[in-house]
Amino acid sequence: MKIVVCIKQVPATSEAKIDPETKRIVREGLKAIMNPFDIYAVEEGIQLRDKFGGEVIVLSMGPEKALLSLREAISLGADRAILLSDKAFGGSDTWATSYTLAKAIDKIGDVDLVICGKQAIDGDTAQVGPGIAAHLDWVQATYVMRVEDADSKSIKVKRMHEDGYDICEMDFPAVITVLKDINIPRVPTLKGCLASLKIEIPVWTHADIGAAIEKIGLDGSPTRVVKTAPPPPRNIITQRIEGSPQDCARQLVRELRIRSIL
Amino acid sequence: MKHRIQKKMYHVEILPPKQDTEKLEADLELFAEKYNRVMESVYCASITDNAMGNLAFQGTEIIEELGLEVNPEQVMIHLNTFHTKQDLHNILDICKSRGIKYLLIISGDGSDRLPRLQPSDVQVKGVVESVTSVELLKYIKDEYPDTFVLGAAFNPYEPPEHEFEKLQRKLKAGASFIITQPIIKKNDIVDELLEKYPDVPVIIEAWMSKKIHLLSDAVGYEIPEDTQFDPIETLKMLHKIYPACGVYLSLLGFKTQYHLIKETWI
Repeated sequence: MKIVVCIKQVPATSEAKIDPETKRIVREGLKAIMNPFDIYAVEEGIQLRDKFGGEVIVLSMGPEKALLSLREAISLGADRAILLSDKAFGGSDTWATSYTLAKAIDKIGDVDLVICGKQAIDGDTAQVGPGIAAHLDWVQATYVMRVEDADSKSIKVKRMHEDGYDICEMDFPAVITVLKDINIPRVPTLKGCLASLKIEIPVWTHADIGAAIEKIGLDGSPTRVVKTAPPPPRNIITQRIEGSPQDCARQLVRELRIRSIL
Repeated sequence: MKHRIQKKMYHVEILPPKQDTEKLEADLELFAEKYNRVMESVYCASITDNAMGNLAFQGTEIIEELGLEVNPEQVMIHLNTFHTKQDLHNILDICKSRGIKYLLIISGDGSDRLPRLQPSDVQVKGVVESVTSVELLKYIKDEYPDTFVLGAAFNPYEPPEHEFEKLQRKLKAGASFIITQPIIKKNDIVDELLEKYPDVPVIIEAWMSKKIHLLSDAVGYEIPEDTQFDPIETLKMLHKIYPACGVYLSLLGFKTQYHLIKETWI
């Protein structure tokens, strides 16, 4: 089974600032980590490879710094990694990003399965996985919480949605996006980390993957961010209950009942 | 363990490199330097396990990878409940094969990235929702009989009745020595501990950072940020108050303090 796992490097903090001019996240000075949802995607890829054979290739689009996250994926057990890095990719929205990743997957060739985390914690769009499937014209299942079965030609997954669960059977090639429930990711070993430092990771540009210049970066992005603002602060009122433990408990139950919590 | 106290052996805390370090090789070199210095001093290197829930490499894998020499009397591995069963056994098996016999068993701090042992992993029967140091102590004692000397933590800042009851369970489960939370002055609960368990070796933790306000959460009262604190003088004072106790040095400055600690035993 040839598996590509798409990962993204994101700011480590939820207190990221937005540049008022560009409406983009100010990444300078922020510690970067692998998108937490993508760790589950990497783990699932490794588990499937260990069960069915094949290889796991980790793919990311971003600046050179993203090599750190790719090395982390290798230290976890991925076989190899590819970075897509080119000034021409700058300013890509989810559509242009998924186009770029799809072109790279096409270049890798003979891929059976693409796995993405359900969404990135910086953009929170959950659109890149489905976008890749759309560009490649492959079947897809989002919000996958369990791989029920798989063989060399197909995969059966359980996906979660608002009204319950779906069991989907898909022939390869396919794209899935995964939830945190899907597995318990392993922790990198020292041996794995040291080995990952020695692995050469190729960097592909738009020319390497044959991406049309008008479909990547800002030009290839139909989305325009018109305004960005933080959510309004929550209006939390703290109420202190005083008295004997019995009185406090009685009063607490009453207050919870008034609010229909109990 | 008592003999260490008689031999004036400090337990020097060493934190392994964090998983997210961008200078892994340099951090490993520094770890080895500290470890070897502790070995040369004939103290005990006490190696933490994902301290504060921060993902770090395991002491055992570093010792293996760097080929560091192990003197069984001079190495203590901390082990908490945030591991998979497989990882737990990997750590214990390396300890066994390398002759590391002292383990400090703690519940530990978790994080999103750290899996937690499940009751079924440590063969707990009945209604137990999560694995604590008590279950882990018992499991190790049963699975690796006569292999390790197990220690437990004691927090004198918790409600004493509860803490003593918990300690009793830890001792029953297999702990044979105790390490306290940081002590910065005479502590009535520690006095009570020594009185209640005269035969159990007690190691008190000495806070070696000048930033004493960082202990506010641990001790349960606010220590102002500008509080002046002299760790070396406090260490000397602790030796006077608790001459029968071993001492665990947390956050010891290897550049600025290490050369001073030799003279602090009375």
